Amino acid sequence: MASTAVAHDFQYSSPAHQAQTAIAGMWLFLATEVLLFGGLILCWIFSRHANQPGFDAGARETTLWIGTLNTALLVTSSFAYSVGLAFIRAGNARAMIWCLRAAVLLGMVFLALKFGLEWHRDFAEHLFPAAPQFKLHGAGQGGARLFFVFYFISTALHGVHMMVGIALVFWIIVRARRGAFSPLYHTPVQAVGLYWSFVDIVWLTLYPLIYLIGRG
Amino acid sequence: MRRAFAKLLGTWLLLLLLGALEFASSFLPLARCWRPLIMLPGVLMILAVAVSFMEVRKGPTIIRAFAAAAAFWLLILLALGSADPLTRIDYRLQTGEEHDATISSPP
Repeated sequence: MASTAVAHDFQYSSPAHQAQTAIAGMWLFLATEVLLFGGLILCWIFSRHANQPGFDAGARETTLWIGTLNTALLVTSSFAYSVGLAFIRAGNARAMIWCLRAAVLLGMVFLALKFGLEWHRDFAEHLFPAAPQFKLHGAGQGGARLFFVFYFISTALHGVHMMVGIALVFWIIVRARRGAFSPLYHTPVQAVGLYWSFVDIVWLTLYPLIYLIGRG
Repeated sequence: MRRAFAKLLGTWLLLLLLGALEFASSFLPLARCWRPLIMLPGVLMILAVAVSFMEVRKGPTIIRAFAAAAAFWLLILLALGSADPLTRIDYRLQTGEEHDATISSPP
């Protein structure tokens, strides 16, 4: 892998320059993602302010234990990935692969809980905002429906990001098994790690907006 | 490696602690308008992930510039976007139904 470690494209002055550019590019991409999710947060502020009782009534219908457990799972997944990155920097590719497997497994458990269990329950309890027999009635029904519009769109968008992240981590694992990474060259591991942690950050924002603020 | 692992482990434990704090604070009897303050531990969690897992302090300055720009534009988006709804005064519309209800209510 030494040849991979020293190789760099012609437009870069050194492998380190190429690596720094790749990481900076990932940060720039994540900056655009912040604005994508920013619009969603703005919708939450606007909708809750105009429909507080109904919006909070909707929040109380969410499954708190799944949201809380998923938060712990994602935080742990990010931790596992970061430990994997530390392992490849120390030259231990085998340990990195195990850490990445743990990270991706935790991510898959997150998705199973979110879409296999929580969404299933939400649909069964008529919490889908377009459901003709929507669970919540009364004056705040409109606000509650708005909450669940936010809930389904934001969790779906986050779920899509999770799936992309899982595919990327799998790709890193496959490449690592072929011996593509070393302490000198592991830029893709670092770039995917940034994306994986960003998906974690998005959830850390959504968790209180969906599950916590409306309660009480 | 041992030092890096200890640092990451410390961050993970801090994140779990802050998560528990956020969860517990959601049970505080706060007024509805103050309940978004529950997010404060969450903001600290985001900072911890950015600093420790994403290593925003390491690498070239352009990385920090992109991260700061993202935070700045998010702030602009949220501040300008929410300025109108948060400062608007809504007056109740007197509808015919309410008027009729008032008339028909017993003395």
